[in-house]
Amino acid sequence: MDRTGTIAFVPPRYGDEVIGGAEAVIREVAHGLAARGWSVEILTTCARDHFTWANEYPPGESVTPDGVVLRRFPTVLDTPRAERARYEQAIASGWPLTLSDQQRWMNDDLRVPELFHWLLDRSASYRAIVFAPYLFWTTFAGAQVDPARTILMPCLHDEPYAQLEIFHPLFSGARGLWFLSEPEHALAQRLFELPGNQEVVGSGIETPDAYDVEGFRKRYGIDGRFLLYAGRREGAKGWERMLDAFARAVRRHGLPFSLVTMGVGDVHPPADMVDRVIDLGFLPAGERDDAFAAADGYVQPSALESFSRTVMEAWLAGTLVIANGASEVVRWHCERSGAGLTYDDDLELEQCLLFLADAPEAAAALAAKGREYVLTNYRPDAVLDRIESTLAEWTENPSGAG
Amino acid sequence: MVSPYPPARDGIAAYAVQAVAGLRAAGHDVEVLSPGPSAAHHHLDLAGPRGALALARRARHYDRVVIQFHPDVFFPVPCSGGERAAIASALTVAFRAARDLEVRVHEMDYSLGRGSSPAAVALRMMWRAVPRVVVHTEAERASFHEAFGVPLARVALADHGADFMPHTTADRETARASFGIGPDELTFLSIGFIQPHKGFDRAIRAFAANGLGHRGCRLDVVGSVRLEEPGFLAHLSDLERLADSTPGVRLHTGYISDEAFDRWIVAADLLVLPYRHIWSSGVLERAALYERPVIVTRVGGLEAQAAGHGGATVVDTDADLADAMRVAADEALGTAAAERDDDWPFDPARVDRDAVMTEVRARAAASRGGVPPARDTGAADGRQARDAREASVPLRRLGPLSVPAPVSGRPGASILKSVVRRLTAWEVDPIVHQVNRLQQAVIEATERLGNLPKE
Repeated sequence: MDRTGTIAFVPPRYGDEVIGGAEAVIREVAHGLAARGWSVEILTTCARDHFTWANEYPPGESVTPDGVVLRRFPTVLDTPRAERARYEQAIASGWPLTLSDQQRWMNDDLRVPELFHWLLDRSASYRAIVFAPYLFWTTFAGAQVDPARTILMPCLHDEPYAQLEIFHPLFSGARGLWFLSEPEHALAQRLFELPGNQEVVGSGIETPDAYDVEGFRKRYGIDGRFLLYAGRREGAKGWERMLDAFARAVRRHGLPFSLVTMGVGDVHPPADMVDRVIDLGFLPAGERDDAFAAADGYVQPSALESFSRTVMEAWLAGTLVIANGASEVVRWHCERSGAGLTYDDDLELEQCLLFLADAPEAAAALAAKGREYVLTNYRPDAVLDRIESTLAEWTENPSGAG
Repeated sequence: MVSPYPPARDGIAAYAVQAVAGLRAAGHDVEVLSPGPSAAHHHLDLAGPRGALALARRARHYDRVVIQFHPDVFFPVPCSGGERAAIASALTVAFRAARDLEVRVHEMDYSLGRGSSPAAVALRMMWRAVPRVVVHTEAERASFHEAFGVPLARVALADHGADFMPHTTADRETARASFGIGPDELTFLSIGFIQPHKGFDRAIRAFAANGLGHRGCRLDVVGSVRLEEPGFLAHLSDLERLADSTPGVRLHTGYISDEAFDRWIVAADLLVLPYRHIWSSGVLERAALYERPVIVTRVGGLEAQAAGHGGATVVDTDADLADAMRVAADEALGTAAAERDDDWPFDPARVDRDAVMTEVRARAAASRGGVPPARDTGAADGRQARDAREASVPLRRLGPLSVPAPVSGRPGASILKSVVRRLTAWEVDPIVHQVNRLQQAVIEATERLGNLPKE
């Protein structure tokens, strides 16, 4: 395989402490390709937090231990974002916005002019420029620079933003599209006119060598049975509604579970649940794996998932997944694997939790199918094989050197 | 006394007759004028400007006039702004004609007094013509002053239950036996006129959500439709469906005597007053009369009214209501909720996701109430049940609308949010209730349509 030429990846954020599915996918692919001998650069912002977009990392160039070049550019946030807030309401309500309004919405937020100009000056030097996810200014603006070299990894959800007309050229003009799942691909086909190059590449999930359940419990002082949620604790991820439903189920049925969570965002447990909701904050990868293995069940309350790596991590650890059925992708995983339960309202979530509480052996038997599903479909090597295959087919080294 | 009056079965009539009894017992000579033929001494159609002016002619002949005020007695429903202004002006004349006037307010839409429309101006004039306005809670008193500009010195507070007398001498055992209630059945009661704002459907859903019927509890919903209007009859129909599909719930419709009304209260272990909006509650007073605990929603002046009674639990949301009923059941039954159907019929060696999901959905449907749950048997009727469920999925995924908790990590912001929440609750909460009712109704309608036999 011809692995010459540099592949640039452009996520809005990058860093060990950055929590986000799209960011994790980009990271995994970028470093995976580097490990296979590709020249890889990551072009990103100095931001860590996707609400404030404050410049927390220093700008400039550095090199990661595995040889990936990391270039950070400062975000600019010099508008009050009041106009954006108004447009957000309109978009959420389904009110039509003119193209001009959609543009104003996009631009009344973070912008990264230095990144844009970096691409403007040097895009021709890259073999491919991979942008993800579709929704952010970095992708929207950056992908306009050199569509012929652009590969979009949209991480698309069925959400009001996806209906905006401004995203049509982004999808139709890219050199190629990488999708994480078949439902995401189908959604994109429904919403956009797509280019010829499209591939469902999936996302690779590393299999831990071993899990240290007892050690994890000891280190974090966790006794008894617990449910796990990993990710951002925010309304858009379904955290608050899930927390309310969990609290009600505990009160009604005396469920034996605590709710352990790791990630970022305020937790805000109800007063009578303070002792049952345990926030571990940000955990390093190994500790995360142990948490998945120690949990009785993993709850995925987000309706906006384009892949859901955490669901895969839970299955790898042999843990039953209970997921919001509103996420077409996660529902598809659960149905295809036969290893996850889905709920469509709070009462169904309650019954799923009761099943887990009362029939742990049957729950474990279901979860075991999940591990097989991940190992069959989402081994990192298989995902990288698919990605490399598309790179070979869709792109060529701009310098022509072999 | 100007008031609806028995034998009309009406909360105000029941209230008025007890006030009349109290006044007469104190030695006053009391005559009653009711808006329709009744046990009152006089009756007169009080609706419209003509009715108000007729009242003015009568009022001047009495030393003291007490009006039990409900707007529907004087203002037609619906009422245009012009009509409202005309009637308010005529009532101003009537109020000024009385030598000594007291108006006891049972319900009033305070928003009508705000603004500069002719109707608002006329209503403010009308209320300012009353030397003594009596309300039942401090919240109503403040609203009255703010909306109509009536000086606080002229707005008095009255104990809603001050004149209430017991109508039954039955003890709990006798009362329960008379209704066929077993001695060990924990009995929740929602009683009163059946109309949407009374929210009896909320009580049934909360009962269903906790599966209380399976724990040996019962919920009796007792009442009659006050007005044979399509909206009220449709609500009755909703209640019938809910009751039919919720184990342990019994709906008793029809007029009942004051004695039977009180006997139900005596028979009950706990009253559930899940009102969506109301200013004060006679049922709450009658529950207090018999020392029955109540669960009551935080609307109108009910919180203040309930504060005077021990054994009242005040709740905000449907979820809170369900929790309060469950807690009451746990305490009464001496079991900590753990009693549930914990038998999941799955062999771990052969467990299948689809079978688990079918069972999960059937159990959730049973908790939800409304449309009878059905397990997918694989046969045609099973597929139909599955189709009906699938049809409502987009609606159920929306989840109930709820008001965000007034919490914040920023210093002082939680207090500010709490203040804003209190100030806007009167406007926001009815919208939240209505949206959730609408969602629930559409879910049920969708599932019922899906359950109809296919041609």
